[in-house]
Amino acid sequence: MTWTHRERILAALNHEEADRVPIDFGGAEFTSITLACYEKLKKYMGIDTPTEVMSIIHTCAHPAEEILDRFGVDTRNVQPSPYEGGVDHWTDDNTYTDTFNVLWKRTEKAVDQHFLHQDGPFHGGKLTVEQVEEYDWPDGKNPGLVKGIRERVEQIQANGDHAVCLYLPGGIIHRGYAMRGFEAYLKDLYKRPEAVQLLMDKLCDFWCDTAESMIEAAGPENVDIIYFGEDLGTQDSCMFDPDTIYKDYLKPRHRRMVETVKGATNNKAKVCYHCCGSAYHFIPHLLDIGIDALNPVQVTAKNMEPERLKEAFGDRLTFWGGINTQEILPFGTPVEVAAETKRIIDILGKGGGYILNSVHNIQAEVPPENIVAMFETGVNHRYH
Amino acid sequence: MSIQEIYDAVMAYEEEDVAELVQAQVDAGTDIEKILNEGLISALDVIGEKFSAGTLFVPEMLMAAEAVQAGLEIVRPLLIDTGAKPVGTVILGTVKGDLHDIGKNLVGMMFEGAGFKLIDLGTDVDPEEFISAAQENDADIIALSGLLTTSMPEMEKTVEAIRDANKNRNLNVKTMVGGPPINEEFATRIGADGYSVDAPTAVDDARALMAAGI
Repeated sequence: MTWTHRERILAALNHEEADRVPIDFGGAEFTSITLACYEKLKKYMGIDTPTEVMSIIHTCAHPAEEILDRFGVDTRNVQPSPYEGGVDHWTDDNTYTDTFNVLWKRTEKAVDQHFLHQDGPFHGGKLTVEQVEEYDWPDGKNPGLVKGIRERVEQIQANGDHAVCLYLPGGIIHRGYAMRGFEAYLKDLYKRPEAVQLLMDKLCDFWCDTAESMIEAAGPENVDIIYFGEDLGTQDSCMFDPDTIYKDYLKPRHRRMVETVKGATNNKAKVCYHCCGSAYHFIPHLLDIGIDALNPVQVTAKNMEPERLKEAFGDRLTFWGGINTQEILPFGTPVEVAAETKRIIDILGKGGGYILNSVHNIQAEVPPENIVAMFETGVNHRYH
Repeated sequence: MSIQEIYDAVMAYEEEDVAELVQAQVDAGTDIEKILNEGLISALDVIGEKFSAGTLFVPEMLMAAEAVQAGLEIVRPLLIDTGAKPVGTVILGTVKGDLHDIGKNLVGMMFEGAGFKLIDLGTDVDPEEFISAAQENDADIIALSGLLTTSMPEMEKTVEAIRDANKNRNLNVKTMVGGPPINEEFATRIGADGYSVDAPTAVDDARALMAAGI
């Protein structure tokens, strides 16, 4: 049989092998390519289509359709449009205030020029319930967020049968860090649990409202994948205790988010959760709340060896990512990249359950030859 | 009232209690180094061990380090009065072109909590800044941090510049490196004197370098 792009992705998510491994590139803000690297790739491939920015904060590109076609990419991205009438604004080219009143600054001196959050509405002092309650929260049903969504879905459908990947940014931890400050937020989990949980609820409300209106705008029957996430791991450990902090505070909110999107798509859409670093100890909880796929499968982090993951969770979880961005993609040769890509497909793709992508966005220093080697191997390598 | 109570307050992450208890011990005339070593440092060591073992996590380490910091603020000026020397002097920073500092800050807190004198140069630090800070402070160790893979070549350059300064500019420091993309193999290849997988291990490794007589 001839497989369509969408069927390939759905086969992987249903733990079946298609004709080849399904491929994602640019399905979400964390499965794309940094702007600097994208320019090199375009030049290498002889493509002069103007660059479309996917996220200025993450400094990543929306890969051009002709690149996606050349690489046999099976996904297409849909994500919210800008909020209308909010507090977000640019002070200058390097300073941005977002809808949640978080101040972001470009790391001008850094190689990749991405943005880091510097200040937010709850920075400093002790976080109180009143403070969170009285804050002028943005509206998750803001009409700007869904502008152009239907047209984007129609365009995807007109261009071919690709899997529609709806990316929903934000969440309850990362936005919480940004609004409150990273260290303060982590301490609040112990010192101000009531206030920090209310903060989680407010952010969860916003996210669920946005998710519902995005799905409605896209047409619930058209959404194949909902992609969201926030990091729970560090390179060598967990950011916080999976069996207390995550289980008691974060998991119930994540469960609500998953139930909201599955409910809004009549249980049709699959949910991919993004978690950098060592996600291993969180995976049982993620499976418990109905997560179908895990991205980016940071194989260089602790307990994240592909063999270990496939053995422990391969029958229930699809792995999305896995091509080593910390060592092989930037520093290996195309031959080494191809060998590593085959290795990952053979381990994680056995019996389905794997979608090919780099671990996180392809970083600034990755040579274009290596990117081509990764995707070409994906298209040409067979499971057995 | 005992030093054990200080230790227990650190383990309970009670910053204000630690400050009060340390002050009470100081007022009672308890030996300052005893307060430091048995009350503060030994507690943070245990927290560090649990962190490295994966049974405690970032929030707990942050809270414990801050509790120790509250005690250190009281004993530090007194230690200077007694003429006690710090365990060692560490220059810390994230290498040039990298502005990430969460990991570096954790390492800094653990160094201070272990009684090292710490000079934190922040992020995006030029090799020459590390070298001059080491010269000015008669440092024992320069500890380099980085999150981005793009920082790795910069880390290599910095280690080379320090090695050159050790040889030609009358400097005598050891280099330690760490950060998510860094591993033992990379550290060895670039000629760093030590690689540490996490913040508590960095303290242990620094202690070992000091004991080896640098």
